[in-house]
Amino acid sequence: MKNTMKNIAALFLIFVFSGSMANAQGWTVPASAKKKQNPYEATSKNISSGKKIYNIQCKSCHGDPTMANMLPLAPVAPTDLGAQNFLVQSDGEIFYKVNKGQGAMPAFEKTISDEDKWMVIAFLRSFDKNKKVKQQVAEVKNPEVTDVKLELNVNEEDKTMLAKLSGLTDKGKRVGLQGIEMSFLVKRSFGYLDVSGEDPYTNETGDVQIQFPVDLPGDREGQVNMLVKVTDDAFYGKLEEARVVTLGVPTDPVNPLDERAMWGTRANAPIWIIVTFVGGVLAIWSVIFMVLFQMIKLPKLAKSKD
Amino acid sequence: MKEETSNHSRRKFLKSFGISVGAAGVVSSFSLIGAAKAAAKKPAEMVNLLTQDGQLVQVDKNQLRPTVTEPLDELQKRGREGIPGKSFVMVIDLSKCRNARKCMDACQNHHQLRQDQHHINVLQMQDAEHTAPYFMPKPCQHCDNPPCTKVCPVDATFKRQDGIVLIDNERCIGCRFCIAACPYSARIFQWTEPKDAEKYKDLTYNIEANVPQKKGTVSKCLFSADRLREDKLPSCVSACPNGVYYFGDQNEDAVTNGTTGETVRFSKLIEDNAGYTLMEELGTKPRVYYLPPKNRAFEFNGDLLNEENLH
Ligand code: SF4
Ligand code: SF4
Repeated sequence: MKNTMKNIAALFLIFVFSGSMANAQGWTVPASAKKKQNPYEATSKNISSGKKIYNIQCKSCHGDPTMANMLPLAPVAPTDLGAQNFLVQSDGEIFYKVNKGQGAMPAFEKTISDEDKWMVIAFLRSFDKNKKVKQQVAEVKNPEVTDVKLELNVNEEDKTMLAKLSGLTDKGKRVGLQGIEMSFLVKRSFGYLDVSGEDPYTNETGDVQIQFPVDLPGDREGQVNMLVKVTDDAFYGKLEEARVVTLGVPTDPVNPLDERAMWGTRANAPIWIIVTFVGGVLAIWSVIFMVLFQMIKLPKLAKSKD
Repeated sequence: MKEETSNHSRRKFLKSFGISVGAAGVVSSFSLIGAAKAAAKKPAEMVNLLTQDGQLVQVDKNQLRPTVTEPLDELQKRGREGIPGKSFVMVIDLSKCRNARKCMDACQNHHQLRQDQHHINVLQMQDAEHTAPYFMPKPCQHCDNPPCTKVCPVDATFKRQDGIVLIDNERCIGCRFCIAACPYSARIFQWTEPKDAEKYKDLTYNIEANVPQKKGTVSKCLFSADRLREDKLPSCVSACPNGVYYFGDQNEDAVTNGTTGETVRFSKLIEDNAGYTLMEELGTKPRVYYLPPKNRAFEFNGDLLNEENLH
């Protein structure tokens, strides 16, 4: 009993404190903006695309929601966006703050599309313990499965890839898993390029097909390293498959040193420069030698004149 | 002609220097191996060592091996060749730069520079009286037609196959022709003893990071060539808190943002955002691309020296 009282008191304090902090920072949100509701439903599809956007745009400062691993910036550290005292705000309030930014927080009004921002808000709401917006409706329910498998099919002709996600039901039947988001990633030097396209969700049979970009460079043979995975580990744990596919455009890297150029070192200097330089040096030295030679000849000439 | 001969003697000197350094390395490694061998005869003897993360551990003395450092020649050779098959490019998004200057700090740390020396500098720009001011980070542009390498009389600065322009300060004679030739003012000269010269004086010269720095030679941005060899992004790129920098391989048509880790198509990024290069009318063909400062991610009050702008 005492403990719960303490907890409540602590929560209250945090609440008051965060309120005053918010005021101190001067976040004033107009009443009309506060009233806005997230026009997108909190489906697992929207939440997972929100998560993707969050990881790219917000995570570097705010850390993972509820983990309180934000960047320790001074004077005001970024808020944990999964914390309940943040989520007490209305959708519209969060949307407004993301748009306008403040202090070290950038304004995302023009850099992230409205739709993407709402997705992020849907994702953040999924941490809301009060579930002000209840998890929405009409979602596909996959049966409980074990031994989830990811199979890949590559069609090199028309540059498509087909991934199939299936699991074993308790009756021992293999069924396709529906509505799961997959990521199709191409390995590049410093990261993975996402080529999943607009709608990489599995259909009723557990299949999802993507079109590989027609103009993406591969190595000399057109090979690229692909990584296909279930985007969100939360569903079936880490499930991924790496494979080398020949879907890229065969690219021969150009070595700028193969050509002779003005900017090259001695070994790569243009022939005409080498010729002119060596010719010039030879010409000057031969003139000098000629003069010397004539000078040696002078006394001889004088003698013969005598 | 005089230049040729002086250059020759310099090379001779360097050669003998290289040999003596190499010899010292061999001698010291012999003594270490000797110690290890001697220890092998005794029953296992443990030594206390401090690991990098600060833990005290015990290691069997017989297991000790001298660390392998690349000899100068080897570093020099691979530094000149570059990384085959790559063609590095950088994209700087001016709409996101808010003068945090974290890139400069990281760079100065990496290349042992003083606070007033810049391989990369965040400039405060205003193109004309009625245009909006903006911040512009400016590293070496790693030109594909670099005027700087054309003028070097001793082949000390050069371009490698992956597009990076480097300086070999073991060769540089400090004539500063290259500083005069560079239209981007990307190069600096070490007029005085460099920072921490005492501390780093025994370090083998690493051409790909240009450390230790040397008095009387030139230095400039190297795209962190030593980090690229380990598939790491350049120091400035990974240090930026505001997602300003993208870096990648043009041959792969992909660049990765140092802050968010997001990888995007290079050609699409440039096309969608009207990317440009600096002073392209000079025909230098820079490898650093800029995205214009439009749709900024922060409010800019126009006061360049205001502390508020330093985030
Ligand atoms: S920016 Fe200057 S130093 Fe860098 S490559 Fe171009 S000319 Fe050379
Ligand atoms: S200062 Fe050094 S790198 Fe520059 S041109 Fe002279 S010798 Fe070459």
